Amino acid sequence: MSGAGFLLDLGKCVGCGACVLACRLENHWPEGVSWRRVLPLNLDRFAGGPTYHFSLACHHCDHPACLTACPTGAYEKRTDGVVLLRAELCLGCRYCEMACPFGAPSYDAAAGVMTKCDLCAHRVDAGLRPACVAACPTEALSVGPGRRTGPFSSHANEELYARIPGFSAPAGCEPNVRFLPPRGRIRSRLVRDLEEELKP
Amino acid sequence: MSSDKVFRTVCPRNCYCTCGMVVRVRGREIVQIEGDPLNSATEGKVCLKGISYAQRVAAEDRLKVPMLRNARGDLVPASWENALDDIAERLERLHSESGPQSVLYYEGSGSHGALSALADAFWNPFGGPTRAHGDLCWPAGLEATRLTYGANAHNHPRLTRDSRFILTWGHNPAETNIHQMRFILEAQEKGATFAVIDPRSTDTTDAADYHLQPRPGTDAALALGMANVIVEAGLHDEAFLARSATGIEAFLLRIRAYTPERVSQITGVGAGEIRELALAYARTRPALLIAGFGLQRNHHAGQTMRAVALLPALTGNIGIPGGGWQYANLASHQLRAPSLPPAPPVPSRSFPTARLGRELLSLTNPKIRAAWFEKANPVSQHPQTGPVVQALAELDLLVVVDQFITDTARLAHYVLPAKSMFEEEDLVTAYWHPYLQLRTRLFDPPGEVKTETEIWRRMCERFGFDTRYFASDPREILRALLPDGKANLLEQLKNAPVDPSGNGDVVWSDARFPTPSGKIEFASEEALRLWGVDPVPDYVPLEEGHASGRAQRFPLQLLTCKTRGCIHSQFGNLRWIKDVERPRRLDIHPEDALARGLAGGDRARVWNDRGEVRLGIHLTPGIRRGVVHVIEGRCGPGDPEMNRLTDDGITDMNYGATFYECLVEVEKA
Repeated sequence: MSGAGFLLDLGKCVGCGACVLACRLENHWPEGVSWRRVLPLNLDRFAGGPTYHFSLACHHCDHPACLTACPTGAYEKRTDGVVLLRAELCLGCRYCEMACPFGAPSYDAAAGVMTKCDLCAHRVDAGLRPACVAACPTEALSVGPGRRTGPFSSHANEELYARIPGFSAPAGCEPNVRFLPPRGRIRSRLVRDLEEELKP
Repeated sequence: MSSDKVFRTVCPRNCYCTCGMVVRVRGREIVQIEGDPLNSATEGKVCLKGISYAQRVAAEDRLKVPMLRNARGDLVPASWENALDDIAERLERLHSESGPQSVLYYEGSGSHGALSALADAFWNPFGGPTRAHGDLCWPAGLEATRLTYGANAHNHPRLTRDSRFILTWGHNPAETNIHQMRFILEAQEKGATFAVIDPRSTDTTDAADYHLQPRPGTDAALALGMANVIVEAGLHDEAFLARSATGIEAFLLRIRAYTPERVSQITGVGAGEIRELALAYARTRPALLIAGFGLQRNHHAGQTMRAVALLPALTGNIGIPGGGWQYANLASHQLRAPSLPPAPPVPSRSFPTARLGRELLSLTNPKIRAAWFEKANPVSQHPQTGPVVQALAELDLLVVVDQFITDTARLAHYVLPAKSMFEEEDLVTAYWHPYLQLRTRLFDPPGEVKTETEIWRRMCERFGFDTRYFASDPREILRALLPDGKANLLEQLKNAPVDPSGNGDVVWSDARFPTPSGKIEFASEEALRLWGVDPVPDYVPLEEGHASGRAQRFPLQLLTCKTRGCIHSQFGNLRWIKDVERPRRLDIHPEDALARGLAGGDRARVWNDRGEVRLGIHLTPGIRRGVVHVIEGRCGPGDPEMNRLTDDGITDMNYGATFYECLVEVEKA
């Protein structure tokens, strides 16, 4: 597994939206473009359940559908896992947009090219965390594995990490996003077990 | 880029967090906004609003020139010279015809900074205008805390991490105090229990281990009921009370009547739930009780807050890390008043701010003929929008100073463009953490924008008033505001936030309470003397509550709470915020909706005998039955005017407003 991708602690994400604005400021989203969004699940709190907030951007898949679909080779999977889009090679055909099951590529109509989260490669290369992660007020969002923080910070056990639920892998693209289940009264057994196993 | 400049500054909004910020600037463009890691309450983070300043400061709709209402009723650009000449001439005429009190000067909470006080370099020699006193937000809770503990102070926010039990009451930190939420979640991760009392379900209650949803306005009964359970179980801290409290006998007598069964009937919370929460709170130490502003927006706010504020004392949680009573922390409020010309010998006329519309319409001798609003948007924020709009529309002269055309500015004869927080150096206090912080000037104001300080200086010039109070070096003014013996504080503040109080991180650890008795006052003669209330806090049903006669006609209690993306009517005009903010809809329980023939997605008419509003509904079983909610603050023409429905009542203490004592009925629009 590659080093890039996001780990979101659903027990700590309160849907505040700081990650979205931090990305917008850092990456100068052109008009109509969105690289990160917070999708609420059960905003109505039906059945007495809570709202979960999913802060989502590009998942920097192991087998990126965008890359496969791109006719000009504008996409690149870096060795550290970051899926990069080189705008200078993009024709604006939007095949990647159709291919990505997660809606990560976002079309810049004015420039006629696609744009996409690059995990703040310019920051990561300078030893900084992506803008969304650095801004997260509750430290719910982190980069993982390898660079991840939180309960798994000092651990590089890929096998355990793989057991944290993410999205299933439509079209076999192996998205690199993981979700720690919520805390409190509904904290799942999975996390307790994982934390038990990870105790030094 | 190497040409970038990096500044430390502080967000001056009316918000708990008052974040320290690090801002990177390229020319006039803000390219990065991060939290200041040296502020150990906000710890290197800001919220979404903090990041949105990058757009706000450069927003297309920001005012850059003075605007004048022309004969056709449109706001059109004007020059500063003409605008201020005309305003001065009109004020002078009103002064000679009807006296200085025919003018209202109103400064709101839109932006915090010590230099605001310089407005009186103009108004004092003018002769003292009419003013408003009290506050729309928090004064009842402040006075309740002062009567109980002697002062408004609490532990350093980061100590929340060390708490074993956190009870938040009428507070939604996930949206309104995000850094508090971080500490709560960290404490919870370390095993602390988290309980929330709120009639709504929120992003905060979603994280809670206990969530009690009482009827709005019944919190005093709930607090007294919890005290009853705690004392019955012998879990009160007798040694602490003997040492540090007075009036405990009268209080023990009072709570006898508040059995869980009776309190359950009043609050609508199960007796078992009340017992369970009270016992869990009292059995865990250290336990922290954090009260928000929400439970003190009704007529009996002060007595309610006194009842709640006593629970930490009853359980001996005062003066210890991880425990305590958290309401407001005024540790940073140590600045001196600026040097000003003498105030007029006759005290200014003033009225409680909540009654703005009514007072402007009814005051006589002299009648109010002109008003000047700064950092305020009363058409959105004051109760009873109808009378407020009518009163403002009838004025001979309305001057509004703002960065944007707000609902209030739309009614003005003159709108003067205001600086942003990045365009004038100032000192900013806080009310959650103990830090005094320096607001930095990053660049000049855009266009023809002038600072308020400069506007007042020019007004003084026009009236021939002394202008030496406006030193040519603004830093000289700031230095004069610093507390005695702290002359070098300004230099320190350039490098880091400073706690100027000397309180330390744990307040009341010395058990010296600046109350009349020197102890925590369970019975307060001062409360009786100043406010005419029962010395021992009691539950009194709301005049406009769930059990009042009025509830026959208007059976639903309306709450208008804060949201994460706006501070009242600020920020919501910005594209960046609109893209992530939730729509302002009427949250209503599905059973309440069903009983009125309403289905999800319908539009509703919400009304009472004060007014009506139409808006979309949002069905959610998360809200208590009998309660409806809409996000407050009208940020633009598309948002509902909820204050058409709210009452202009005044709290039992300290002249607060009663926004959450508001009955309505709802039907399909």
